[in-house]
Amino acid sequence: MAGAEDPSKIQILKDALYEEARQHGSESRMFSQKGLTDFNIVPPGDPVLLLKVIQGLCDDKLFVGVTSPTGIAWRWRNREDAKKYTSLPNDETMMVYAIIDEAGADGIWNRTIKHKLNMHESVVKNCIKHLETKGYIASMKNVEHPNKKMYIKANLRPSDRATGGPWFTEGELDTAFIAELEDIVFEYIKTKSAYLGSQGGPRGDASTVRAPRGGVVRGSAPDGEAAARGVKRPATDISNDDTAAPVNGDAPAPAASASRSRGKVYLPLPAGYKSYPTVAEIAQLIHQTGVTNNTTLGEADIQQLVDGLYYDGLIEPIKVNNRRGYRVTRATKQDTVPFHKRQKERQAGIGIDRMGVEATGNGLTETPCGRCPVFDLCEEGGPVSPSNCVYFAQWLDMEDTMAKPTGPIAV
Amino acid sequence: MQVTQNVAELCALLIDELHGELPSRIFAVLLNRGRANLPQLCQYTGMNALQLRNGLAVLLQHNLLYYQVDGSHAIYEANAEFAYNLLRTGKILEMIEVSFGPPAKDVMQSLLVSGQTRVSDLLSAYQEKIDHINKINATTMPLDDDEDSPDVKTNGVNGNSHSTKKSDTLVKSTAQLNSIICRLVEAELIDVVHPKTFQSPQDIIKTVEKEVTDRYFPAGVKGGRGKIEFQEKMAEALRKVRSESKSLKRKLEQNGTAAKRRKLFAGVGASNGTSDGTNGVNGAPEEDLDPALDPKQVIRINYEKCLVDLRNRRLVQFVSETIGEMTSYVYGVLLRLLTKQLPRCRLDPTMDLNPDGEEVDAEHRPVTTDEILDNLRTAVDLSLGFGKPQVKEISSKAAEKITEQPPKAKLFIAEAEVEGDASADESDDGSSSEEPGYDSDFKDQPAPAANGSKVQFADGSDTHWKRMGRPGQLRQHLLLLAESSQHFVRHCGQDQWTVDFEPLMRALREAELDAVIERTSGRQGLRLVRILRANGKLDEKALMNVALMRKAEVQQKMVEMQRAGFVQVQEVPRDNKADVKKSFFLWFCDVDKSYIKLTDNSYKSMVRCLQVLEVLRQKEKDVLMLTRRTDVKGREKDVMRKEYFDRYSRFQENERKLLAQVMRLDDFVALLRDF
Repeated sequence: MAGAEDPSKIQILKDALYEEARQHGSESRMFSQKGLTDFNIVPPGDPVLLLKVIQGLCDDKLFVGVTSPTGIAWRWRNREDAKKYTSLPNDETMMVYAIIDEAGADGIWNRTIKHKLNMHESVVKNCIKHLETKGYIASMKNVEHPNKKMYIKANLRPSDRATGGPWFTEGELDTAFIAELEDIVFEYIKTKSAYLGSQGGPRGDASTVRAPRGGVVRGSAPDGEAAARGVKRPATDISNDDTAAPVNGDAPAPAASASRSRGKVYLPLPAGYKSYPTVAEIAQLIHQTGVTNNTTLGEADIQQLVDGLYYDGLIEPIKVNNRRGYRVTRATKQDTVPFHKRQKERQAGIGIDRMGVEATGNGLTETPCGRCPVFDLCEEGGPVSPSNCVYFAQWLDMEDTMAKPTGPIAV
Repeated sequence: MQVTQNVAELCALLIDELHGELPSRIFAVLLNRGRANLPQLCQYTGMNALQLRNGLAVLLQHNLLYYQVDGSHAIYEANAEFAYNLLRTGKILEMIEVSFGPPAKDVMQSLLVSGQTRVSDLLSAYQEKIDHINKINATTMPLDDDEDSPDVKTNGVNGNSHSTKKSDTLVKSTAQLNSIICRLVEAELIDVVHPKTFQSPQDIIKTVEKEVTDRYFPAGVKGGRGKIEFQEKMAEALRKVRSESKSLKRKLEQNGTAAKRRKLFAGVGASNGTSDGTNGVNGAPEEDLDPALDPKQVIRINYEKCLVDLRNRRLVQFVSETIGEMTSYVYGVLLRLLTKQLPRCRLDPTMDLNPDGEEVDAEHRPVTTDEILDNLRTAVDLSLGFGKPQVKEISSKAAEKITEQPPKAKLFIAEAEVEGDASADESDDGSSSEEPGYDSDFKDQPAPAANGSKVQFADGSDTHWKRMGRPGQLRQHLLLLAESSQHFVRHCGQDQWTVDFEPLMRALREAELDAVIERTSGRQGLRLVRILRANGKLDEKALMNVALMRKAEVQQKMVEMQRAGFVQVQEVPRDNKADVKKSFFLWFCDVDKSYIKLTDNSYKSMVRCLQVLEVLRQKEKDVLMLTRRTDVKGREKDVMRKEYFDRYSRFQENERKLLAQVMRLDDFVALLRDF
């Protein structure tokens, strides 16, 4: 067999092998020597020729040598990329580019490049500068390490890990986007997991409300009021409410309070209700409405949102026959303002700017002490004391008479 | 009850408020210095023995002291728990009024004002008053005539004229009084004072321990088995001591309970499903049926049982907030039935649990649907308060799920189940099991409503809900309670219901803590804390990811909440060098620590409220002096100059506000500490 092969023959073989490899798998597939031999481009009995062909391809940057678990192997690279490599002025630049290329969508920190190549910093800097001006690489930000200078191939989009997934826009957590979506998700769960009725609500008919409150009083107040209280509401009364309700809903209620006072409330659904919304349904809703523009949200992402609402105490998971749905907490206290109306109000800067109901206050949070910034310092005889407390004075509406002797304290 | 500085201050202030300065000072000294005898007290307080004796007598009268006679000296010790209970006076009275009627409240009030009282004294006091009123129908007379004029401002009854005007219609005869006391004793709201009442719990344990060792283990306690046996004997003996205060109740029960007596004598005419709450109005013919009480018995209020009832009220309030009013009404009835025999909120680990941590002689009889139905007022429309979707949307299999065992406990309540089985055949005329579509269809078909359109609640389904009738509707409320995430009720057998108080109260406490956090640190803070509670210890990065919050926000909130005591941080070094930069910082939240901190903050806030009230009193001293004059009292508005009256009414308003706030703080403390 002749030692020196015809270069044109090798060129033909190179092209053939490259095309064959491209036909057999993606850029990430690794071909071992056996795999390449099995293509039957190079005669099987001639490994030297194969080696030459491969070497030629590697020189052209069309093949990349990698180590696989079974030994050395090769991946193919597309011609455009290869051209970029060959157009680079020197080996250093090429190595730098190779390393950035290898890092793929996650990007790589410039210090890591230096470390890996064991090159002088100025050399790396030069190479990077060259590559950047040529437009082959771009600097990027990683949300996990916002202070590190990272580089990525210019034609790649940073991976989810680097960008932080759908919740990040340009490396920043997009809180407005999240808040808006949470709002939609919450509204959806609210309307789907509670029954919009008009009976027995807290602002509803006084007769039905009062009864439970004084529930255990027995005949202790035999006056007219008790008699009125005791009257059972006739069924017609209820159905009247029902038919009247939609009309009320259509009427332009100026504010949340107004529409509440009409007696429309959310009621809890009976036990065993099977259609509490699930994450899959919510994801589908978000997808169909297209509110997220071109960001696609998977079920896992929606789960994250829903979990957030759960941690906020706004919704709770409920399992019925192994179907894990979510329902709103404290249904009867939810306001019944339609979503679009609230959106409008919010844009106009009025109305309630929060989801769900606020937590009920208790003795501690409503006493001035509960929110006092100098609570720990407060003692009789100290600089802050009950006798000169400005917060109590405000709370009791006594600013004129209390806290005068010592003057307002600086807090 | 742990006595912190704030508790000590609070107790002293409360006693000052109700019983005057002298007892308060003695009490404060006893709290600060520990137990002391008379000469020591003389030394600490700088008062003479006569003054001290007067003060101690008042304190003893109200059960605010423990004492132990040691040779010739009595050693006194402050009873902080009872001093704190003074705060609940108003609440307890209101509760009594609601469930037993105004006359019972009047009796209870007298008992609260005069401390522990002999039955005969109480009888004669009332007899005197009744005679007095009978003689001259118009004159006013102070209600609290058997005590050297204690100031009863806290429970809002300082208008004496007001209360007497009422009182002449309240307790009409000593027989009625007797009957009221009997009923209160049977409800365990009143119990008997016995010598051991005045021994501090530690002393009781010590003496019992000695008795037990002398009697059963003269050779000492040996080995693991001996220890267990010893514990059992101890528990038994302690229970015996505790039950001494129930002697009167037992005596009454020997004659049959009030309800039984009434049934026996009044025949079948008992009104529909109302238990012992009916009295007060038509009580007259029934009073004679109650046996006369031993006039020598000394009675007092049993705060432990009062707490059980207060807890029920709190739970009802909680349900009305989370589910709805109608359901909470049903729940209230259920709780009342269930806790009739429940002596206290929390079990005592030394007495009520055997060495394996199981409850001793627990008689938790579940309540049946029928019983609840019997106790509901017929006027209440049970069809309200829950949604009425289409029947096919409901899986009755899931709704009716029966959980026989309490969560994570090993207790088995099988006997109870068999016993109440007879009731299973009730109520089902209109409810679940007959509806074909309602019952068997639990195939998990995905809801068709995912496209954003509203769920259609067809009108046709409404009739179904109406048709199920009262028992069925009641069941809906109960099932709703059982399905709730807090598990207000456990469906422990067919148509049987019970409540697992311990996990429920834990959930309630957590909810209250959440409310505080939301109020003080905002919803973001709440989110972070709840994440920590659900996931355990997390570092900042993980926290950020789960909470979907910016780093700066998370850091700021966490530090804020750490200072408030809601979260704690732990430093975990990566290696031996413990380099701070390389260490992990893990956030976590220790709920119990938060409770302790919040409880103490509440004590302090209560102290501050009372102190501010005192400051106000000082400020308006001249006006208040004026109102105390006998010619002004009762007709302030007519007699006083307008300027003064305005100041007075403003002061009163502030007083009301501050005291109400103290009450609300106590609600919070009670939940965290006692329920």
